[in-house]
Amino acid sequence: MTLLQVENVTAGYGFGPDILIGISLTVEEGRTCCIIGPNGAGKSTLLKAICGLLRPRQGRVIYKGEDISHLRPYQTLAKGICFVPQERGLFPDMTVRENLVMGGYILEDRSRLDQEIDRVCEIFPLLKERESQRAKTLSGGEQQMLALGRALILNPELLMVDEPSLGLAPRIAADIFEKIRSFKDFGMTVLLVEQNARKGLACADWGYVLDLGKERIEGPADTILADERIQELYLGKLAAKRKETRS
Amino acid sequence: MHTLQTVILGLALGGVYSLMATGLTLIFGVMRIVNLSHGAFMILGAYLAYFGFTLYNIDPLLSLFIVTPLFFFLGIIIYKSIFPRITGSPRFMEMTILVAFGMALILEGAMGKYFTGVYRSANPSYVTDSIQFGELFIPTGQLYATIVSIVLLGLLWAFLNFSRLGYATRATMQNRDAAQIVGVNVERVSTISYGIGMAMAGASGSLISFLFTFFPNKHWQWIAILVSLIVLGGLGSFVGTLISALSLAVIASLVSNWFGPVWSPLTFFLSLFIVLLFRPQGLFGKKLEEE
Amino acid sequence: MAEAQAMHPGDSTVASKTPLEGKKIFLILFLVVLFIFPVFQVIFDGLNYVLHIMLYMFMYISMASGWNIIGGYAGYSSIGHNVFFAVGGYFSGVIFAYLGLSPFLTAPVAGLVAMIIGLLFGLISLRTRGPAFLMSTLALALVVRLLFDNWALLGGSNGMSIPLIDLPQQYLKLPFYYGMLLTAMAAVYTSYRIKHSKFGLGLRAISQDETKAEVAGINTRMYKIIAFGVSGIFAGMAGALWAYLLTYLRPSIFLELIIAADLILMSVVGGKGTVAGPVLGAILIIGYSEFSVSQFGYSELNIAVLGIFFLIVVLFFPQGIIGTLREHGKLPKILDWD
Repeated sequence: MTLLQVENVTAGYGFGPDILIGISLTVEEGRTCCIIGPNGAGKSTLLKAICGLLRPRQGRVIYKGEDISHLRPYQTLAKGICFVPQERGLFPDMTVRENLVMGGYILEDRSRLDQEIDRVCEIFPLLKERESQRAKTLSGGEQQMLALGRALILNPELLMVDEPSLGLAPRIAADIFEKIRSFKDFGMTVLLVEQNARKGLACADWGYVLDLGKERIEGPADTILADERIQELYLGKLAAKRKETRS
Repeated sequence: MHTLQTVILGLALGGVYSLMATGLTLIFGVMRIVNLSHGAFMILGAYLAYFGFTLYNIDPLLSLFIVTPLFFFLGIIIYKSIFPRITGSPRFMEMTILVAFGMALILEGAMGKYFTGVYRSANPSYVTDSIQFGELFIPTGQLYATIVSIVLLGLLWAFLNFSRLGYATRATMQNRDAAQIVGVNVERVSTISYGIGMAMAGASGSLISFLFTFFPNKHWQWIAILVSLIVLGGLGSFVGTLISALSLAVIASLVSNWFGPVWSPLTFFLSLFIVLLFRPQGLFGKKLEEE
Repeated sequence: MAEAQAMHPGDSTVASKTPLEGKKIFLILFLVVLFIFPVFQVIFDGLNYVLHIMLYMFMYISMASGWNIIGGYAGYSSIGHNVFFAVGGYFSGVIFAYLGLSPFLTAPVAGLVAMIIGLLFGLISLRTRGPAFLMSTLALALVVRLLFDNWALLGGSNGMSIPLIDLPQQYLKLPFYYGMLLTAMAAVYTSYRIKHSKFGLGLRAISQDETKAEVAGINTRMYKIIAFGVSGIFAGMAGALWAYLLTYLRPSIFLELIIAADLILMSVVGGKGTVAGPVLGAILIIGYSEFSVSQFGYSELNIAVLGIFFLIVVLFFPQGIIGTLREHGKLPKILDWD
C-alpha cells in the first residue's frame, strides 16, 4: 500500500527561489527508498517539506490518504513520521539519555518512555554505554547513532534520514547503513537521502534520482545502480572514464 | 572597609545581578532576542513596588508575589503581539533590538510623565538594619534580596531540569530546529520563556525598589550593565551569566570601595570592551553569527 | 521613464538623463533658497526662531546622515553616537575657552578628533557582530558620560561656559545657520559619494551577509571601522558649532541618550541605507517635536510617542519612508537621491 505520496510539490526557503519544482513521488509501505542526486538538487528540501519544516508552495503531501501538506513538524510526528536532519539535530549540551528523552517528547504516557529508551538501546548498545555523556562530546558515528536512536523512540512508521553517512569514515558509514537496512525487519518504511549513491542504493529497495528540483529517474535500487546514465552522472565521471579506457 | 567585607557585599549584590541578567539570557537563548527593554521593565517593576509600599504599605518583598506573575502575563501579551511579526525576517536580531529599544523609549516616556523624574527609593525597615556575622556585616535588605534571587533562580533551575516544558526550553535553546523535529512547539516555548524573562524583570524591580535609587532614565545604565555582564559570560549561557555576575559584582564592589561608588559601573563597561577585544564570544558562549 | 524593476531599497533607480537633470536643478535651486533665506532676517528681523529651527534641522541632518553610514549602509546600529557630538563640542569648546580659537575654525578639527575616537573604539568593538557592537556603543556613551561628569578640567557635571559670539542679536544665528548648513551639505554629499563607491558596496555586502562578504575577500573589520570613524565626523563638527551657539558645555546636554535615540529614529523612519532617508527623517522628527512642544508643552510623553512611532516603523515599514515608497514604485524623483 502507498504510505506516502508527494504530488507535484514546489518548495523553497524564505523568499528564495523554488528549489523543488513539481516533484512527485510515492513510497510504498515497508520499502526502503533512497533518493540520490547532486548537491542543490533539493533532496533535503524534499524531506523538510514532507515533515513540515517547510511549507510546500504548490502541490500536496499525502500520508496514508491524508493531506499533511500544512502540518507542522510536531503534528507530522504524531502521525508517525520521524525525521533525522543532515546536521543530525542533536542537543549538544544534553546527555545521550536526555537526547533520547527528548525523542519521546510527545509521548502522552511518560511511563512508557523508559521502556522505549531501553528498546532503542538494545538496537544501539553504544548509547547505553555513553548514556551520561554530553552529545557534543560524541564522535561523528556515535552522534549519527544517537540521532537515529532518538528518531526510533516513537517507533515511527516512516523514518526519513538525510545523508546518514555525511562526514563519516567509510567503515563507520557502512555500520550505519547496515543498521538502516535492518530497520526493514521492524516493518519500518525508510526514506533515505544520500550523497553516496552507491552505498545508499545498496541498502535500499527503491531509488529516486533527483536533479535540479525535478525527479528524473525512479526504479528498483539495483536497476538504478546498474544504469549507465546514473553511473556516469552520479557515481563519478572517473568510473565512466575507467570503463572507456578499459574497453 | 575590610576587603573581605567588600567581597561579601559584592557577592550578595552579584546574586541579585544574576537574577536580573538571567531573564535576559533566557530570552536571548530561546529566541535570539536582545531585550533592550529589560531595564525599563525592571524600573517599572520598581515603581510598582515603590508605590505599593508608599501608598498601600505593602512591603516590596510581598508585592513581589503580585508583580512577578503580573509581569509574566504582561510578557506573554507583549511577545504575542509583537514578535511573531518579525520572526521570518532575515535581519531578525537587529530588528528585535530596535523593537525592544522602541519599547524602552515608550516606557521611559510614560514613566517620566506619570511618575516624574524624582529619584525614588522605597525604605522598609530592613533597609537600615544590618546583620552581624562576627566582624562582618551585611545589610538586612541586601540579604533578603539575595535570598529571594537565589530562590527564584533555583526555581528556574528546577523548572529547566525537571519539567517537560523545561526540557523543551533547554532543547529549544540548544537547537531550535531539532526541537521542532522532536515535536516541541517552539512558539509556545518562546512565548512562555519571554513571560518568564519578564517575570524575572518584575521581581528584580521589586528588589531594586529598596536596594537602589531609581528614576525613569536609569534603565539605560541597568541594561548596559546587564548586557555587559551577559556578553562576558557568553550570550545564552546560564552558567556564564552566573559567574560573570558574581565576579563583576565583586570587582565593582572593590572598585567602589577604592575609588568611589561613582566609578563602579565602569567595571562592567570596561569588562565589556575587554571581552569584545579579546574574546567576543565571552567565557561560555559560542561565536555570535547571524543565524 | 524608469521602469519598475524588482527593487532593493537602497538601489539606485535606473534613470535616464532628463529626470536626473531635473532633479539636480531642483536641488540646486533649493540650496540657493536656503542660502538666501537668512537675508530676510537681516532685512526684516523677527525670524530668529525660524533660523534656529532650521539650523537645528541641519545639525541633525548632518548627524543622522553620518549615523546612516554605519547604521544604515553597514547595518551596524549604534546607540552611542552622541559621544561624537560631545567630543566635538567639548574639543572646540575647551580650546576656545582656554586658547581663544573660534570653533568655526576648529570645527573641522573637532570632526577629525571625533573620527579618530571612532576609529580607535571601532578597533576594539568591531571584532564582533551587530548586537554586541550596539551594546558596546551604549556602554561607550555611558563611560564617556561618567568621565565627563567627573573631569574637573572640563567642568565636571556642572559643565563650563564658553564666551558668546560677538554679534548683535539680529545677526546672532547667521554664522551658525551657515555653519550647520555647510556641515549638512558636506554630510549628505559624503553619504552620497560613499553610497556610490566601492567602499559603499562593500558596506552593503556586509549589511546583507557578513559571512559571505568576508568569504568574498572584503576586509570586513577594516570596512566597519572606517565606516564608524567616518560616521562620527559630522556629528563632531555639529557638536563644535552647537557648543558655541549654546555657550555652554555640559554632559547632561551633550551626552543625553535621547540624542542618540533620535539619530536612530531619524534614519530608520526616513529610510536606513538611503541618502535622503536621514534627511527626511531629521526634518520630520524635528518638525514634529517642535510642533508638539508648542502645542502640548514639553513633556516626557514625547519620548513615549517617539517610541511608539519607532515601533510602528520597525514593525510595519522597516525600510522607512523612502524605502517603502521605493518598494511600491511610488518614490517621487525629488526624494530619490541615491
